[in-house]
Amino acid sequence: MLKQSRKNIILISVSVFLISLTLTVADNFILSYSKDTETCLSCHEDKDLSMEKDGKKISLYVSPDHYKSSVHAGAECTDCHLNYNPDEIPHTKKTESVNCNSCHDNTGGLEKSVHTNVNCYECHTKHDIKPAKEMSRNQSENCLSCHKNKNVSKFSESIHAKKDIGCNDCHSGGHLTKNIKKSEVSALCGKCHNKSSSAFQNSIHHTVLKGGNKNAPVCTDCHGAHEVRMNKVSIQTEACLKCHLNESLFPGEEKGSAKFVKQYKTSIHGSIQKGEKEAAVCADCHGDHMIDSPDDPTSSTKRARLLETCGKCHSEVVEKFKKSKHGQELMKNNGKAPSCTDCHGEHDIKSTLLSDDFSKINIADKCLSCHKDGKIPHKNYKGEEELISGYTNSVHYEALKKGNLEAPTCSECHGAHEMESAENPASKISKKNMAQTCGQSNCHAKQLNNYTGSVHEKGVSENNKDAPTCNNCHGNHAIVTKKSDDKLAKSKSLIQLCSNCHSSVELTERNDLPTKVSETYNESFHGLATRGGSSEVANCESCHGYHNVKPSSDTSSTINKKNLPQTCGKCHPGAAQVLFTSKIHATDERNDSPWVFLISRLYLALIIGLIGFMVLHNVLDWRKKVKLRNKT
Amino acid sequence: MKSEEKYLRMSFSERIQHFLLLTSFIVLVYTGFALKFPEAFWVKWTAYIIGENAFEARGIVHRVASVVLVAVSLYHLYYILFNERGKKLVRDFLPAKNDITDFRDSLKYLAGKSENKPLFGRFSYIEKMEYWAVVWGTVIMGLTGVILWFENFFLKYVTNTGMDIASTIHYYEAILASLAIVVWHFYFIFLNPDVYPMNKAWLKGYLSREEMEKEHPLELAESEALKSDESKV
Repeated sequence: MLKQSRKNIILISVSVFLISLTLTVADNFILSYSKDTETCLSCHEDKDLSMEKDGKKISLYVSPDHYKSSVHAGAECTDCHLNYNPDEIPHTKKTESVNCNSCHDNTGGLEKSVHTNVNCYECHTKHDIKPAKEMSRNQSENCLSCHKNKNVSKFSESIHAKKDIGCNDCHSGGHLTKNIKKSEVSALCGKCHNKSSSAFQNSIHHTVLKGGNKNAPVCTDCHGAHEVRMNKVSIQTEACLKCHLNESLFPGEEKGSAKFVKQYKTSIHGSIQKGEKEAAVCADCHGDHMIDSPDDPTSSTKRARLLETCGKCHSEVVEKFKKSKHGQELMKNNGKAPSCTDCHGEHDIKSTLLSDDFSKINIADKCLSCHKDGKIPHKNYKGEEELISGYTNSVHYEALKKGNLEAPTCSECHGAHEMESAENPASKISKKNMAQTCGQSNCHAKQLNNYTGSVHEKGVSENNKDAPTCNNCHGNHAIVTKKSDDKLAKSKSLIQLCSNCHSSVELTERNDLPTKVSETYNESFHGLATRGGSSEVANCESCHGYHNVKPSSDTSSTINKKNLPQTCGKCHPGAAQVLFTSKIHATDERNDSPWVFLISRLYLALIIGLIGFMVLHNVLDWRKKVKLRNKT
Repeated sequence: MKSEEKYLRMSFSERIQHFLLLTSFIVLVYTGFALKFPEAFWVKWTAYIIGENAFEARGIVHRVASVVLVAVSLYHLYYILFNERGKKLVRDFLPAKNDITDFRDSLKYLAGKSENKPLFGRFSYIEKMEYWAVVWGTVIMGLTGVILWFENFFLKYVTNTGMDIASTIHYYEAILASLAIVVWHFYFIFLNPDVYPMNKAWLKGYLSREEMEKEHPLELAESEALKSDESKV
């Protein structure tokens, strides 16, 4: 094989030499340019023409078509291949590189570009050199033919490639191709992405970058340099976490530390499966390009703007919150009013359904962390100031502690985000809505049923401010257990409770209520017995009921004449067939019970007359007897 | 030595009757007014001593005392109907014509319009008033008390108005009776200068001749006359 190829080479060399010789001879006769190039091509158009150099086979083929359509079609081969003697094989003893500068003395700044050591033909090719315009059209392909490393090669899949943005658009291209410095990136991207870029210019990232922090990210750190894509979750969040989870970059445990940010990974926002569009990524809260310092008062994560930021996704909830007392105070810049994160947390945000912090019993602690100090006092049913922390002594909280998950916690009555003041008529705890809130199904529906239609409920529905609803008797937060072992105290406090309103002259007159009901009760056997310490005797509720209190004129009232035998019969079985001939609370003795009035007046006269006489008689007797004794 | 002579005023049976009457009366007054004035200091003290069931105890004690009083009253009824001494007792207690003149004369005397002190027999108008007041009071208090005690039974018959009337009467009668005892009875037994510090007849059963002379001169004369008759025979 070797011998044969050597033979071939010799044969070819000899034939080349002969041809060259004839051409050189011919050249002496025909001194024309085209003929000269034609002469070269007469040999070099042979596709198999090649030579061996340093053990490598080099093709010496030149496509005449390419050459003739190239910008150098008007130039002679020897214009570039200096000192070539076509008659000799090889044409020159010392091969010299083609020096393009001999003609193209203006290099267009090539010597300053990154390609200064790259041969012209690497880009322009050797013989089929295209016009500059045509070259720039397909420049990216050209670049990628050399730049085959992994990152750069991804360019072809990038959004830029798809939108016909080429390498030259960033790297200047042509002879000026350059590397891009970190400090230049944002300005460069901003040529197209001016909005994002100017936002970035105001961001903390840019501020830190200007301050000389080499770790500060620019566009490419997040978006990638060549592989720029459009994809929400995978690129952005990973890009942020790449740096922000690094404990050496963000040490400590405070806000802003890597540990703090790491909580995001297990949060409801972070743990939703990758690719879910509903999940919030870093940029959704912090902004994308214009990430502010967390201390910046205009930052999207600052309390003032949280409603707007969280409301981007949770609009319905935020609308409710804005109407709430919390929301309104927040919007008035009240520094103590809670914002979203004060209850829900920041990076560690959890689903309220799954989080322990939002379990019925723990949510009370959350609310009380602000409300326990009693700075927002309420009045209880006795008119005494009541602390909201009284809830922890209430039956509701006790039941929760015992594991009754039906028992209400703060949000059950106040609403979670609605959290309106009771003064707002639309709130769940306004006077008119209170009974519906307490009486919702599964809670006190039975009591609500009884209360509905009562004289108290009618008053409330007619906007009578004096009429009581649930909390006026039971209290607001510290709703305590009825202690069955102290019936007397319970009875006494009940009488006191009813008396608060029913013995108020002002209130009874304003509402045209029977007067002196407390007094007459207190003087009755029932009242005397309670005062004396009987726990069994009747108090207000024994006769009037509690939730279903109705006036005696109502036929369904427990104290309607028709129903009295049954009502009194609960304690006095003999009363079942009794005719009630006079009022129980005889507030006007003369008219309500004339017999009692008559008898009591007769007795008073008798007592005054008879006892008066006795005193007089005895005084006289005593005087006489003492006088007699002194005489003797 | 005549002054050391003893005159029987109250027999043993009468003293027992009186003792039961006075104890049950005092208990009834105490426990009765304890209901009406629950915040009075003496009620609170008693309740404090007795403890948490003081109110229930009050009711029970009141009823027990009332039973004692009614029982004594019934025995007394039997006594005045069937006992010889009892028959004489009630006869002596019956109001007579001379009571009115005695009363008139006594008032004149006490007012200083007359120097003649009326002379009284076994029971003066003062004691007769006392006796019949107790009878009247016991009947009224007994009847209204029974109605209030058995309110379940009586409600049907007297209606709630009747209950109100019964409790009104019970209350005012209690005041009247208590004041009468304190003002009328206690004066003659304790403060009365003739017997001060106390007429001990309810304990001893006897009066001295001196006491007889002052309070019951006619009875003394009667018994002397009886004695002289006996000595004549």
